[in-house]
Formats: sequence, structure tokens, C-alpha cells
Amino acid sequence: MKGFSHFMSGVAVASFGPWAIEAAQQGNPIFFILGGACGILPDTIDFKFYRFFYEHDVYITPDPLNPDPQYVANEFARAVALAVDEKRYVRVKLVSVRLGADFWQQYSVKIDNEKLEVQVKFGPVVNTGQVPVKGTENRYPTVATAKLKAKVIQTYDAALKVDIFDGPTIGFKPMDNGDLDLEFLPWHREWSHSLTVGAILGVLLGAVAWWASGWTMAWQVFVTIAACYGVHVVEDQLGHMGSNIFYPLTKNRTPGLHWMHSGDGLPNFLAVWISCLFIFWNLYRGVPKPTYHFSFIHLMMVGLVIPGLIFWGLRKLLTLGQNVQMKKGDDADDEWNESKAAG
Amino acid sequence: MSVFWIALFATLAGTVIASLLACLPGLHIYNVMGALVLAIIALVDTQWAIAPEIYLPMMAAMIVGWSMVNTIPAVLLGTPDESAMFTVLPGQKYLMDGRGFEGTMITAVGGLAGAFFLILVVAPFAPRYLPVSQEVLKGHMHWVLWIIITFMLMSEWPKGGNRGPAGWAKFYDAWKTLLAGLATFFLAGLLGFIILTRSPVSHEVAFQNIMPAFVGLFAIPWCLLNIISAADMPKQTVTKSLAVNGDIILRSVWSGSLGGGLAAYFPIVTGGVGGMLAGHATAQRDERIFIMGQGVSKFIYFVGSFILMFVPGLHLTRGGGAWMAKTLYTPSGISDYYLILGSIAVASAVAYLLMEPLTKLTLKFISRYNYRHVSSVALAIIILMVWGITGWIGVFIMAVGTGIGLLPVLFGSRRLNCLGILLFPIACNMSGFGETITGWLGLT
Repeated sequence: MKGFSHFMSGVAVASFGPWAIEAAQQGNPIFFILGGACGILPDTIDFKFYRFFYEHDVYITPDPLNPDPQYVANEFARAVALAVDEKRYVRVKLVSVRLGADFWQQYSVKIDNEKLEVQVKFGPVVNTGQVPVKGTENRYPTVATAKLKAKVIQTYDAALKVDIFDGPTIGFKPMDNGDLDLEFLPWHREWSHSLTVGAILGVLLGAVAWWASGWTMAWQVFVTIAACYGVHVVEDQLGHMGSNIFYPLTKNRTPGLHWMHSGDGLPNFLAVWISCLFIFWNLYRGVPKPTYHFSFIHLMMVGLVIPGLIFWGLRKLLTLGQNVQMKKGDDADDEWNESKAAG
Repeated sequence: MSVFWIALFATLAGTVIASLLACLPGLHIYNVMGALVLAIIALVDTQWAIAPEIYLPMMAAMIVGWSMVNTIPAVLLGTPDESAMFTVLPGQKYLMDGRGFEGTMITAVGGLAGAFFLILVVAPFAPRYLPVSQEVLKGHMHWVLWIIITFMLMSEWPKGGNRGPAGWAKFYDAWKTLLAGLATFFLAGLLGFIILTRSPVSHEVAFQNIMPAFVGLFAIPWCLLNIISAADMPKQTVTKSLAVNGDIILRSVWSGSLGGGLAAYFPIVTGGVGGMLAGHATAQRDERIFIMGQGVSKFIYFVGSFILMFVPGLHLTRGGGAWMAKTLYTPSGISDYYLILGSIAVASAVAYLLMEPLTKLTLKFISRYNYRHVSSVALAIIILMVWGITGWIGVFIMAVGTGIGLLPVLFGSRRLNCLGILLFPIACNMSGFGETITGWLGLT
């Protein structure tokens, strides 16, 4: 899911603690801040800290003055050969090509397992908004290829696209049958996306709270942090990529339920909106002598079901007879490219 | 003349005046309304006293006209205010692609769609549901601000650290932009504490208290950037169709109304913040939906916050327009609500119709002159405006704001961090420790 969905889910989970509402009514926002911050924290750890310390075996760094697709293809093939020959996990960095303050040379890397080769093509120059600069689309028509020593199995079909800011990391993991498993962003959703890490963080900050304010505050902080951090891991499990749920007890990501892609509009919006409704309900329960009375079902009908049905009906009506193609993404690709684009 | 005709003429006059003024870069309609309010107050108890049936529709129409038409300077002249900030980047992409007219008009369609949504969907239900939400949320506004601040600061993407071996050097390179973002937020917050606690601006122009800082933080850095880096403007084409359909409009209303609604309802949450949150919440991939959604968001933010004051059973004062109107008039019944809704409907239609000729006129102007010169003229107008309204002290505040506003430009961090000027001091005040901080700063 996207960062804001995780963030709001964290705030919603925090709102279930009566202590959070009570503190907020006295002007103390700490539990809600903790909720939101811990909701988004696993991604913050990965994208803002861990990836800068992640070592790579092969850096593929095209020359901005002379972009050579053959160099990229050859280096990619060399990395594959390294993984096959040395039977070990190989980490490859596809470095972005910056051409100016706001311009980047896009290139794509595609694996063809039928022909056992990698295909590399330099695309248009794009600006930081990922919009191609006119007239640069066909500057490099050559598609360079290089033979691969083993099949590289991707869990999704998309070509690896490199353009703005940072380029992606890929990992080649040797499998028993001699093929290589391609892991996109291997540093992502590794140890940080784990329920145990959330609990440990809760214990650490709970200890600080105990030292500052005593036991009551300590367990409230622990519960808030562990639950809000945990909801991020649980939500990510609804997608494709999954998380390393019980690190260090588990070493690999557990594949997700494949119910959604992390960048899909509707699930993200629903996560945010339902979180808002939960927050509203929990705040309502905390109102000492309410003038207005309503039930949870009433709130859900007025806030979600009826407007949702009207929106759905209107969309159906407006797209009658049209073939609406929804652009599908990939979990890691969505998180990587769309987070970059969102700035 | 009957009240109907008086209100109609006042609405038309307000819309036309605001639409024309909206084409001037850097001028916020609240500045003009502030002067108008001072004039109305001066005329009270004289034979020239102005009746509420004139100034209320006129104020509503001015807000409508400005919130619709201010897309023109934001996109075509590159001088946005904070609420139009998110429209500028995609809008300028259209401009640099020779499609400035299309980009501007798509935003205007968003504004019109926002008007339909406000009047036909929100307005009938507002008297029934908004008082309920107000009762539930009224003690919780402070932490809403805090979580918005937390998200703003935590969600910025590190722009550096893209090459080289792993390690601290790479980490530091990446964090330069994030640290610049944090510095921007807290410096702007510090400026906000000073301006909101002991404003150096004369009390006679108290309505314009924060304006010089806003101009410095948002509009001037854009102008300077345009002057330094402006590329040649490509030939602009005026299309007959905007290639938008009902589905795109519906989805734009969905995302834009969420952002605009949040900004209108929660204090200090501005259009820019609302737009950012809605963009993250709805995850729309279509650029047209994004641009149109920003039009919806901006309209609902400005106009919706003004309407809240007139909602029977609510009477919530949000936004500069409502605060100014409140100094003149206290709304009492359903007739005031209908008067404002009617004025908004008429003004929206007129402002939308004015968009096309005003956009074409502005395009003609910028195609005739070098874009760098246009930006220089815009910059001169902005500085003169600040000097004219707030004097040299205002120019000084603007210069300080510009210094802070240039940080994101120089380091590539988020410009929205400049909103620390309002978010930080007011969140501190609402949580009850603002005075402690102003005490530390020696302001109280």
C-alpha cells in the first residue's frame, strides 16, 4: 500500500486505545503521532535509511555522455554469470543517468527467457516528473542484447525501467533447478517489515516511557507502537510481494495474498477512508455527553456504503459502452516509482 | 430595486472584478477583500452604508472568481500562491508542450465541477451532518494538525544518494534534501511564531499580516526560478476539445473534493496540504485527473470554507474570507445560506465563462514578450503590491520569506514545507505549549 494509507491506518489503530483519545482531549497528541509515524515507519526505514547502506556486487553505471546499451547488457549478463558460477546471491545496482538539473536518460532492461538473453534499450530523456522530452524518443533506437547463463525468473512481467533519482537494486538468487530468482529491491520488506521488529521497537520506546512516566505510559506506548507498526506489515501482506513477517525467525518474505497491487487507487482510498471512519467512531465514543446519537452501522452506511454505491453507479453510467482499461502495476514497482514521483 | 436584483448585480460585479484581479500575479483576493472590509466599516453609520445584501454576495463572488481564475497566473506566469502550487508543475508541463490553454481550462473545468459538487451534493446535506462532525471533532483539531505535520515531514523522498558505494557518504548525500526540508519547515515555523505573536506589520493592515511572508515563501522563488531558468516558450495551440469525459470529471471530483474538503474544514490546513493529502489518498495515475482534481480542490477549499460560516446549525469560521465577513455580519438563518449558495452558483458560471477569453489574452501577452521578461514584470508587480499594502516592513518580511522559500528550490526539497509558517506555531498553540515556545524566543 502507499505511504499515506499505512499512515492513516496507524492513526486509526491508535484511536482504538481509549488512552489516546483521553490524552488528545487534554491537548496531548503523542499517541496519534506515534500511531501515524509507526504506521509508515517500515517503509521509512527501508527507503530513507537502509537502502543507502546496502552493499552491491555489481554497479551498472552507464556513461551520461555516451549511453551504451551494450555495456548495460554485458554487465547484466556478467552479474547473472557470477551468480551461476559462484552459486551465490548477487546484488546488482542499475544506476540512473542524470543529464541535467531536471533531466534523466531513461533506459529499460528486459529479460527474454525463451532466447536466454537480456535486452537493453535507451528510451527518451525524461524530466523529474517522468514526462518524456519531445524529440528524444528515438535518439537511441538500438536494442542491445547479451546472452544469459541461466533463466532469470521474474514474478512479474514488467521490464526494469530506470529513470529519475535512484535506480533500482535487483538480486539474483540461485534456485535448486539452476535458474535464478530475480528479487526486485531486495533491501525492501526485508527485516524492517516484521511484526517482531515492531514489538522490539515498542519495548524500547516503552522503556523510555517507563523511565519518564511510569508503567501505565510504558504499556500504552508499547501497545500503540507494536499495533501500528504491525498493521503496516499486515496490510502489505494483502499485496503480491509480502513481508518477512517474523524476522529473525523467518529469513525470507512470505508471499502476499495477491488481493491488490500496492499502487491501486481504490484499495488505497478505501484504506484511508475506512481509517477515517474508524477514527471518527472512536472519537464519537469518547464524547462525554453527545447531543447527536448514531450507531456504527449508521455511520458506515452514511459515510461509506451509500456514497460508495452512488459513485459506483455514476461511474457505471458514465463509462457505459466503454472499455475501461485500468493500468496495473506491480507492488515493488509502484512503491519505488510512484514514491519517487510523489517527491 | 428588489433584493434579488441587488444581489445578482453585486455577484456579477464581484466575479468580474475578482476574475480580472486574479490575472495579476501575486495578488491574493483576501488582500482586496481586506481593503473592501475596511471601506465598508468606514461607511457604517453614514448615508453610504453598504447593506449585507450587497457585500455578502459580492464577497462570495470574489472568492469564487479568484479561486477559479487564479490558475492563469499560476500556470501561465508561474506565480502560484500556496493553494495553486500543485497545479503549477503539471500545468507548466502543458505550457512547455504548447498546451497551456488546455492545462488551464482543464483546471477550470475542475473548478466548475467543484461548484456543482458543493451546491448540489454538499450544501443540501451540510446542515444535517456537519454539526454532528463538529461536535465529535471540535476537541481534536490540534492532533489532526500534528499528524499532518508528521506525514508531511516523513513522506518526503530523498532526492540524492543515487550513486556511489553504500555507506555514510551516500546517506548524507541523500539526506541533504531531507535536512533542507526540515530546516525549511522549522525556519518557516520560527517566522510564523514571530509574525503571529508580534507582527511588525502595522495594525491598520492587520488583515494582510501574513501576506508578505506568503508571497516571499511561495510566489517570489517561482518568479526567480523562471527568470533564471526560463526556456523559450513554445508556440501555444488553442484546442477545441479538452479530451475529458464524465468519468474523468467524476474521478477528479472524488479526489479533489477530499483534499479541498479537508482543507476547508480543518483550521490552518491549506489548499496545498489538502491537495497533497488527496493526491496520496486517491493514488490517481492520470495526469488530467490530477490537474482537474487540483482545480476541484482549490475551489472547494476557498469557497467551501466560506460557505461553512453560513451553514445553519454550524456557523464555523474557516479561511480568511469568512473571518473578514464575520467582522461585518453574523449569519442567522437559512435565507443567508441560500443567498450565498445562489451567489456562488451564478459566480461560478460567470467565472468559468471568463476563463477562456482571459486565458487567451494572457497567452497572447506571453507569446508577444520573452517569458523571462514576463516573469520579471510579474516579480516587479508582486514586490510593488507588497510594498503598497504593507510598506517597507512588509518588503523586509517578504525578503526573509524569500530566503526561506529559496531553500527548497536550491536543495530540491518539498516547497510545501514552507507551510511550517502556519502549521507549526498554530499546532503548538492549539496543543497548549505555544506560549512556552514564544517565551523561549523572547516574544512574550
